[in-house]
Amino acid sequence: MKKLLFLIPALAATTAVQANIPINGTVESKCVIQTDTDGVYGNPTADKLSTTASDGGVVPIIRYDIITADAYKAVVTTPNSFSSSPTLDDVVEWTSSTSVGDTSDAGMSAFETNKVTYNNGHSTEFDLTIAGSVWFDVSSVAEYGYGKAFPAGNYTALITAECIAQ
Amino acid sequence: MRFIVLLLCLLSGYASAHQFTPTYPTLTLSHITGVYKAEMLLFNTRKEIRYYSLNVFDEEWNPIRFASESKLIAMDYQERKYVDIYISKKDVKKAKYICSKSKILKSIKDPSIVASRICSKIK
Repeated sequence: MKKLLFLIPALAATTAVQANIPINGTVESKCVIQTDTDGVYGNPTADKLSTTASDGGVVPIIRYDIITADAYKAVVTTPNSFSSSPTLDDVVEWTSSTSVGDTSDAGMSAFETNKVTYNNGHSTEFDLTIAGSVWFDVSSVAEYGYGKAFPAGNYTALITAECIAQ
Repeated sequence: MRFIVLLLCLLSGYASAHQFTPTYPTLTLSHITGVYKAEMLLFNTRKEIRYYSLNVFDEEWNPIRFASESKLIAMDYQERKYVDIYISKKDVKKAKYICSKSKILKSIKDPSIVASRICSKIK
């Protein structure tokens, strides 16, 4: 009888050791904006700054990660002025484009087909109808005056990447 | 192979990212009479970004008055911060979007910088 009394707490202790500890987690809807590649302006001719690879530049790449389909739209706005530059006394003409690059899902090619461009071509809107990751390639070209040479110095331009819940 | 790639992506985290959640915040009564509150979470893994601004807009993107601890949030690299947004009762029906936007310091001289803005929609 005494042996049995000792055995009961021992068994209870064994049960406690074997208890499972749960790990809980929740995946919630969200949009993550990542700067994948910083852009660099190449200077192929004296009057031109361009992010295009053939012009010696580096195309900026922005990655969007979407957890839930149809929850967000992406809007990428390219620069139409320099945020910092040497003093410029003539007009700068800007051309730009934003396109879908790599995707985690083949169906995301529809983002490119259905994109909407406005604001003189500076803003491009994509409906993020498929969950996953998408990389947007942004090209920006600035041409100075009528064949005028850009003054020497540092030039900085700003791209705005937005993710808007819908 | 796909599983290994996915696992690496999940484990590596985000190198340079901006997150603002929830996607669809709800406004609940705060401890102040006549003032509603939304709880937002801001996460910064952009090394070059130290500040984020907050804004509230209506359906037509007109700014709506709101209060928070600060409208300019100082964030360290890889910091996660809970932010309470307070909106008065008279503006609750109008308020539609709560946005956070990265602020870029003038001292940053990268040739091409990305400003990120994420807007959540009030349900």
